[in-house]
This record gives sequence, C-alpha cells and structure tokens, in this order.
Amino acid sequence: MWPKLKLLILKRLRLRESWVIFFILGIIMMNHPFITIFNKPYQAYHIPLLFIYLQIGWLVSIFVIYLYTKAIDLPEDEDDRGEHH
Amino acid sequence: MILSIELVVGAALLYVLLLVTIAYYADRRKTQGKSIISNPYIYVLSIAVYLTTWTYYGSVGRAATTGLDFSLIYLGPTLTAFSWWFLLRKIVRISKENNITSIADFISSRYGKSQWLGALITFIAIVGIMPYIALQLKAVSSTFDIICGYPYMQLPFLHGNYPFSIHTSFFAALFFSIFGVIFGARRLVSSERHEGLVAAIAAESILKLVAFISVGIYVTYGLFDGFGDIFSRMAVKGETLGHLVTFGDAGETSYSNWFSMICLSMGAIILLPRQFHIMVIENSSEEHIKKAMWMFPAYMFLINMFVIPIALGGILYSGDILGADYFVLTLPLKSGHSWLALMAFLGGFSAAAGMVMVESVAISTMFLNHLLMPIVVRFKPRSWFPMMLINLKRLGIFLVVFLGYTYQQIVGETYMLVNIGLISFAAVIQFAPALIGGLYWRRGNKSGAITGIFLGFVVWFYTLLLPSLVKSGWWQSSILEKGPFGIGILKPTELFGLSGFDIWTNALFWSLLLNIGGYLACSIILPQNDREKEQVRKFVDVFTLHRQDAPWEAKRFSKPVTIIQFVNLMTKFIGEHQAHASISEYLGDREIDEKGGVSEFELPNLKRFVEKTLAGSVGAAAAGAIVESYLSDIGSRMESVYDIYSKVRADLNESSENLFVRLRASEIMNRTLDLQIIMDDLLDLVRKEFKFDLVIIRLLGDHNLLVVKSYRGEHISTIIDRSTSPDINTYLGDALLGNRPSFLNDTENNAKPESRELLARDGIKSFAHIPIAREGEAPLGVLSVFSRSIIGQFTPPFLKLLTSLAGQLAQAIRIDAEIRAKDKERLEKELAQLENARVLRDMEIAKQIQLSLLPDNPPEITGMQFACRCIPAAHVGGDYYDFFPKDKSIDIVIADVSGHSVGAALIMAETRTVLRAEVRSKNSPSEILTALNDLLHDDLSRAELFITMFYVTFETTTRRLIYANAGHNQPLLFRRGMPSCLELDAEGLILGIHRVVEFEEKEVQLSPGDILLMYTDGITEAQNEAGELYGMGRLCDLLDKMHGESAEKILEGVLRDVARYAKSTTLQDDISIVVVKIL
Repeated sequence: MWPKLKLLILKRLRLRESWVIFFILGIIMMNHPFITIFNKPYQAYHIPLLFIYLQIGWLVSIFVIYLYTKAIDLPEDEDDRGEHH
Repeated sequence: MILSIELVVGAALLYVLLLVTIAYYADRRKTQGKSIISNPYIYVLSIAVYLTTWTYYGSVGRAATTGLDFSLIYLGPTLTAFSWWFLLRKIVRISKENNITSIADFISSRYGKSQWLGALITFIAIVGIMPYIALQLKAVSSTFDIICGYPYMQLPFLHGNYPFSIHTSFFAALFFSIFGVIFGARRLVSSERHEGLVAAIAAESILKLVAFISVGIYVTYGLFDGFGDIFSRMAVKGETLGHLVTFGDAGETSYSNWFSMICLSMGAIILLPRQFHIMVIENSSEEHIKKAMWMFPAYMFLINMFVIPIALGGILYSGDILGADYFVLTLPLKSGHSWLALMAFLGGFSAAAGMVMVESVAISTMFLNHLLMPIVVRFKPRSWFPMMLINLKRLGIFLVVFLGYTYQQIVGETYMLVNIGLISFAAVIQFAPALIGGLYWRRGNKSGAITGIFLGFVVWFYTLLLPSLVKSGWWQSSILEKGPFGIGILKPTELFGLSGFDIWTNALFWSLLLNIGGYLACSIILPQNDREKEQVRKFVDVFTLHRQDAPWEAKRFSKPVTIIQFVNLMTKFIGEHQAHASISEYLGDREIDEKGGVSEFELPNLKRFVEKTLAGSVGAAAAGAIVESYLSDIGSRMESVYDIYSKVRADLNESSENLFVRLRASEIMNRTLDLQIIMDDLLDLVRKEFKFDLVIIRLLGDHNLLVVKSYRGEHISTIIDRSTSPDINTYLGDALLGNRPSFLNDTENNAKPESRELLARDGIKSFAHIPIAREGEAPLGVLSVFSRSIIGQFTPPFLKLLTSLAGQLAQAIRIDAEIRAKDKERLEKELAQLENARVLRDMEIAKQIQLSLLPDNPPEITGMQFACRCIPAAHVGGDYYDFFPKDKSIDIVIADVSGHSVGAALIMAETRTVLRAEVRSKNSPSEILTALNDLLHDDLSRAELFITMFYVTFETTTRRLIYANAGHNQPLLFRRGMPSCLELDAEGLILGIHRVVEFEEKEVQLSPGDILLMYTDGITEAQNEAGELYGMGRLCDLLDKMHGESAEKILEGVLRDVARYAKSTTLQDDISIVVVKIL
C-alpha cells in the first residue's frame, strides 16, 4: 500500500504544476488572512502557537521539497511524458 | 568579562590561516583535476553564504524587538526552493553556455548584451549593496569591541583623535578587502570557478552553524531549562512575549510588512550579486541543485532554531532589549564562558568574512566588466592590458568594501542590523522583473528592462536610502516629515500619499509597481533589435535549443579575419597562455585553409567563440564591444547578408520564395524535353528572381572544354565569348573539378589575383559557380551567376538552393543525353538497313546487267548445236562466256574472273568490251589472248584480280578447232567412238599476271557427233557432304552416257547431276557451262 502511494505521490510531484501549487500554497499559508488562525497569543505546552506553526510548517516544506527532488530522479515513464518539463 | 586583544586577533589570524590553507588545498586539487568542491554538500554550504552576520547577530536582535518576523528572511528562500529545479537550473544552464560572469552580465546579455543595462545594474548593485557590507563591518567591529571590552582601553597608543570604533571597522574593511583579493581576484577569468573561495566559504558555513548552535544549546539548556522554561519565564513578564510571538500591529509588525519581508527575501536569495555568483557562476553541476533544494532550507532551519531562545534568553538575562543584536556574543561572555564567546565571535567573523569576500568578488567583476570595460575597449588593446585589468578588479574590491565602510560611518548606529540589510534586499529585488521576464517572456526587451530597473532604483533610492541618510543625521532635512519643498504627497516614506504602511512595504510597492510597469510598457510598445532577438532564443529556449539546428548565420564579415588576428586580440585581454589554450580547444578538428583562416561560414562562429571567451573575463557586453571595435579597426565589420528572400529568413529553413523557385524550376524541367529551352528558361527564372546581372550555363564539351550553352543578362564578352578548359586555380575550375560550389561574396576579397583584374574590369561584385551534377556524380558543367551590385548574398541556404537547381538541370541534361543516344542508335540501325537494302538492290541490278551481258541465246549455225548457261553463286559473279560468229567460223570464249564481287563483275564487263573490240581485229585465239592480257593487265593488277580464259575458234567449213588457254579449266572434248574424253590444253598464263605473255595455240580436227564441253571450276569443284570434289571423271562419264542427247539436254543433265551431287541448293561458286555439239 505505502510504496504504491509513495510512487503515486512522487509521480504527481514530477509535474510542473505541482510545484507552482505548493509555492502558492506556501505563500497563502504564511500570509494574512490564513496566518491569523495561528497568530494568537495561545501556548501549547508553554510554547507559543505561531512559533510552533512556523517551525512545523518549515519542516513540512523541507520534507515536501525533499520528496520533490526524489520525484525528479524518478525514471521517466510513458503516461506522463510531455506533461512534465 | 573580556578577552585579551592578542587572543582574539591571534585566534582570528589562525582561523584565517586555516581558511587560506583550505583554499590553497582546494585550488591545488583542482589543478590536479580532483575537485573537492564539486559535490552537492559543498554547494549547499557555499549557498549558506546567504546567512551573514545579519542572521548570526541580527536575527536575534530582530527576534528580541519585533518577534517572529525574523524567520521570514529564511522562509521566503525556502518557498523559492520549490522553483529551483526549473528556475535556477535554467539560469545555470544559460550561464554556462554563455560564459556569464555575474548577474549584471546575465541580465544585460539577455537584452542584447546592452552595455547601458550592464552598467546600470552594476551601479545599482554597488550602491544597493553598500548598506549590506556596512552591516558586516558594523557587526564585526562592534563584536570585536565587545569581546575585547573597547580595545582602546587595552591599547591606548592607537587612540588618536578618532573614536576607536572607526579604527576597528577600518581595519576590518582593509582586512576583508585583502581577503577578497586573495580569494577572488588572483586571476582575470571570472566565469571560471574559484574553487579556493568556495571551499573557504563552505568551511565558514560549517563554523558559523556549529558556533551558533553551540551558543543556542548553551543558552537554552545551560542558562535555562529548555524551550518551555524560556517561554514560561517570558510569559511571566507579561506584555513582551505576546508582542513577540504574534504580529499584526500597525507598522513594523503589520501583515503588509510580513508580506513584504517574504517577497524581499524570495528575491534576495538569487538576486544578491553574491548569491548569484555562488549559486550560478560557481555551480559545478546542475545535479547539485537537487540536493541544495532541500538541504539549504534545512540548514536555514537549523541555524534559526535557537534564535528565539537566545533572543528571549537575552531579554531575560539582561532584563532589557538593549544590545539585543549581540546577545549571541554577550550571553556567553557575561556568563563567563570565554571560549564559547571566542567561538561565537569567530562564527560571526566567519559569516561576515564569507559575505564580504564573495560579494566583493562578484561586484568587482561587475565593476570591471560593466563600468570600466566599456571605457577600456575604446582604447587600442595593449600587451599590458591583462595586468591592468586584474589590478582594476582588485581596486574594485577595495572600492566596494570601502563604500560599505563609508556608509557604516554615516548611518552607524541609527539602524539595527537587519534593517540595514533590508535596504540592500529592496535594491536587488529591482532586478527581478527583468530577470524572470527575460527567462520566460520573449517580448521583454532592452528598453523595457532599462526603464523598469531605472525607475525601480530611483524609487528605492528616494524611499529607502535617502531616509536612512536623513535619519542618521548626515543630511539635515525635514523631507521625511514634510516632504520635499513642503509637498506632503511626495514624502519618501509615504509616497503619493500611501500612508499606513511601513517603509519596506511603501518602497517595495512603489518601486516594483513602476519597475514592472515600465518593463511591460516599454517591452510591448518598443521593438527588439536583431541582437536582442538572437539572445532571446539563447535564454528562453535554452533547454530546447539544439546547436545543430541553429539557423544559418544572417551576418557575414565584410573582410575575412584570420585566426591569428583573433588570437592576438584575445591575448591582449586574457593573456597569451589562455588565448592559445582556448583557441586550440575551439579549433579541434575544424578545417583550416592554407592562409590560417576558416571558411566564410565558420567565421561568425569563430567570432562568437572569441566573444564568449572574452566574456568569461570581461563580460558579454564588453566582449562584444571589444570584438566590434577591433573589427572596425581592421576595416572589417559584420554586415547583414543580402536578404535574398526579402521577407522570410533566419528561423525558417525553407522560405516560401525558396519553394516558389524550386517549383518553377521543376515546371520548366517538366514542360519540355528540349534542353536548350530548359536552360534558357531556368536562367531567366534565376536571373529575375535573384536579380543577377549575368547567369550562364556552361557544359563540358569535346576536349573537356567548358562551352557556354546558354546565358541570360548582360553580354559580358570576357566571360561569355570563350570556352575555357577547367583549371583548379580558377573559381570556375574549382567548382567543376572539386564538385562544390565556388563563390565569392565580395570580389574585393578575391583570393585569386588572376581573376581579380578581370572581375574588377567588368564590375562584378559577387559571383558563384555551382557545379551541375547529380548527387554523387561527376559534374556535367557549371551554372554561374554574377552580380554587379549585391555583396554577400551567397549564404548556405542560398547556395543550397542554387545547387538544387543545378542538380535538377543535371537531371534534365542526363535525360536529354539518353534520348539523344537512343535516337542515334536507332538512326544508325536504319541507315545500316537502308544501306544493306541499297546494296542488295544494286547487286540485283548488277546481276541483271551481268546476265544481260551474257548471250541470251546461243547462235544458230547449221551443223552445230549450242547450249549455254550461267548460274551465279552470289548475285553477281565473274563468270563469262560468249559467242562471236564470223563468216566461216565462230569464236567461243569462256572466262572466270577470280572472286564473286561486284569488282569481278565489273572486270568481267570490261573484259567483254575489250574482247568484243579485239575480236574484230585479231584472228587467232593466241593473238586475242595476248592483246587482251596486255590491255587488261593494269586494271587487273590494280584490282588485284585475275582472269582465266579459254578461247576457241571453230572453222565451220573445215571443222577445225583452234584454241588457246589462259590458265582456264581444260574443256572436255568427247569424240564419237572414243572411250574417254579429251582434255583440251594449251600453255598459257592467267591474264593479269604479266604484261607480256606468250599463249600456245593448238588445233584439233572435229567430226560430227563430237561434243565440246566448256565450263568454269564451279562444276568440277562442287563438293558433296564428305567434302569430295565432283571432278572431271564424273563429268566425262556423264558426257559418255549422254552423248546421244542434244546439247541442251546434255547441259541440263550436267547441271542436274552436279546439283544432285552437291545436295545443296546454294552453289559454292558460279557455274557457267557451254556445250557445243557437232552435227
């Protein structure tokens, strides 16, 4: 199940559209108004919410880029030829 | 607690020594071909030059004052990392293929190698980066002062009339400048990677990360009890934490500011000259980008993890946010950890040194290539140029660093570190529209880029740099409060009345609005020139462009330039060694002619290569200018090829005109089989379509001479009125013997002096000779075209078209020749048949004539019976017999001319005529034969013929037979009552051997019942199947058997018997027979 899902995800990440989507998503998630969700003086386990949000968001971004670089290395296959760059 | 100045300086020097060693080692490994920096990890670490003292000290300061927004400077680049595989890789690919040296070079190259654009970008970079370098100097000098506890207290002798901080940052500036020269300006070639520099930067990145995390761990877990502890303690303090961990107030922490910071940092990661330098110019493999995409954000994450704890820890520890910029250093120092403090200092020092080194290298390259070179190229190149250029570059490094120093002295303490840096970010983001647009938007043009960048820069200067100078008090003015000349709407920080935003958003909004607006508007309104269009292809289509498919050169040299000339030019800018190395690499296996030049079509490539090589040292714009000015010095220039296709060209392989001409040509070929019409029509077409003054078709004729078969246009007698034998030393001969187009685009440059005079006299400006040949076959002739007005029209596609027309013509000529050959063969056959028939008819006539010469019927004489017959073997023969009745006698003759030809028949006719004359005057057979021999001798020996003849005279009254023989078969005489035949013989030579011959004359008395049989050798020599001759014996026996019959019967019996014997209807020889029976 997991290897299949992973392959599927990687294949989708090969598309140029994917990185544009992630890029825009990133900008949206880091800006007003989305960020107001976390821009509150609450604390979780004594740690401020926004701080946690940014740190975790950052890590997730790095992980997605990591997956993305793996996708570049994926051998080209028939069905998506011509779609990616 | 403070550290001794000797320790700090000593440690710093030791550290520098370490860096120099690393750099030296890396350079050495590179010369051995085993680069240590060519791996993705070093690439990632070198990109981390992005994290300067701004991060190292400034982030903490920012976090302590405004909170979490410090991380935006790193989140922005993390977001852009998504695009690196497309965007950065494309930039890297373009830069490698075009020997790009800097961001100014990159952008100006894209817009037609514009010198103005390059200079503008360089100027902005120098001015814009000034605050950034100031930031580093400030950080280093401040931390030095802090760690040494204000050194003038330790070393009072240095304390002159100036505040000591000037000295500290002055020394720092000097130190960094020297550093930059050592690492980045030892050699001139700037497109080459600086392996030593990169290795040093990577080492520094490791140190600053380790140092910062060490301090972070110490503060978080040494001074406090982890993240939670720090936050809880801050929470106790109340107001401050809430302010730091949230945002959204007006001003510095507003949402708009948040957005502006992300935008600025997204641009800065690639647009800062040093980032561009490290990420693009120093990139050794596109594959490294892949690892860098996630590892660089990870590096940023790690180094920023402890910013908040250190900032909050600092506030808690010192109880204040004063000096928050230096918490990283002051916390270990104040808590007594001097070694940690020293490490922190070195980490910060590393961050500053790395930044200043790379930045100064990058900007000094731009300074040299885009500000100085445009001036330098106006002078004639000298041998000391390479030395001067490298020193100018070194001077550039000092200039850049000391400009930063000056700015630091002015602005000094007014701004916090991060805010100084942001001014630089806002400056370089002005390059973004032109750069990104240039990569993806074909229409983006030079005027758009210049306008946009200029407008953006002006707004940046007015809204950010100017206020920073005003706020520092360096320039006393109320402009910030009241606007210039009291016009409130023009207040720099609230431009055009846009109030309610922070200065960054204000500056970013207006500068980018005008920048993008100007770029788009000018790009759409104004056109691109040819040079820009060429560059667009190289940039936008870099991934799809294949070198092989590059369209043909649309430019040519008005005067050819040799390789040596180009090498000498390069030597003056990059030194002899480099010049020779690069040219030999370029030439490789290319063809060079005897004069050290390359073909006319190769020259533009060579020129482009020279430009590219020079571009690696002096930038594309300057390189272009150098080559152009050099060419104009030697009287050559690139000129547009004559646009033969008038409308379409360059990017279309086959223009519509081209197709039209081909179509018309095949129409001409198909319309008729008459070669002359084809040639005339084809020449008409070529001359009219391409405006030639003279077009000629010459074909190879007899004796290998080229003969003019057709021409159109002016009758230039020196060219047309002669047939030439092809000589390899002429262009014409070269085309024919070499079977390749031979042409001259400008007769001024005629390499073959013998034809120069000829061409000059007739005013020929350009010409081409195209061999008329089918693919893979020897040429049949040459198609020549001459022009008196157009120079430089013979381009590869045009020559290809002409060659294809000549090929079609060759096909037509071949077809014509085949038709002719077939016709000739048919005609010859017909003639032969005709001739044969004529001969046959003549032979038939001759036969009839010959037969008519023989007596139709034998004479009728009382007491005698005659029978005679001649059966020729061929149509005509040489047999003859005749009767000459006289008063009391009758002469009978039988003869055989040798051979069965017409000649024999003619001789026979002559013999008959002569004989008939002689018969009247002569009486005896021997006399007649003698006379006949004499008369015929000459004719016979001339015709190489001879005659055998038997002549008898029979006296009817006395029945006496008198006879003579000239070598003929002895006639047979059958005498009644005798058992066998008698052979009549007499001595005598064949007629025609000797002139004078004696003939024996004999006589015999005949009696009734005697039979005389005269015959030719056709009878006795008739052969049966076994090859046996008929012979006289058989003839004699037959006579014996038939002697009672009439003469006619005997004759027929003989013929029948011979025919039966031979069993063949065709006779081997003529048969003549005369039978005389005495009654």
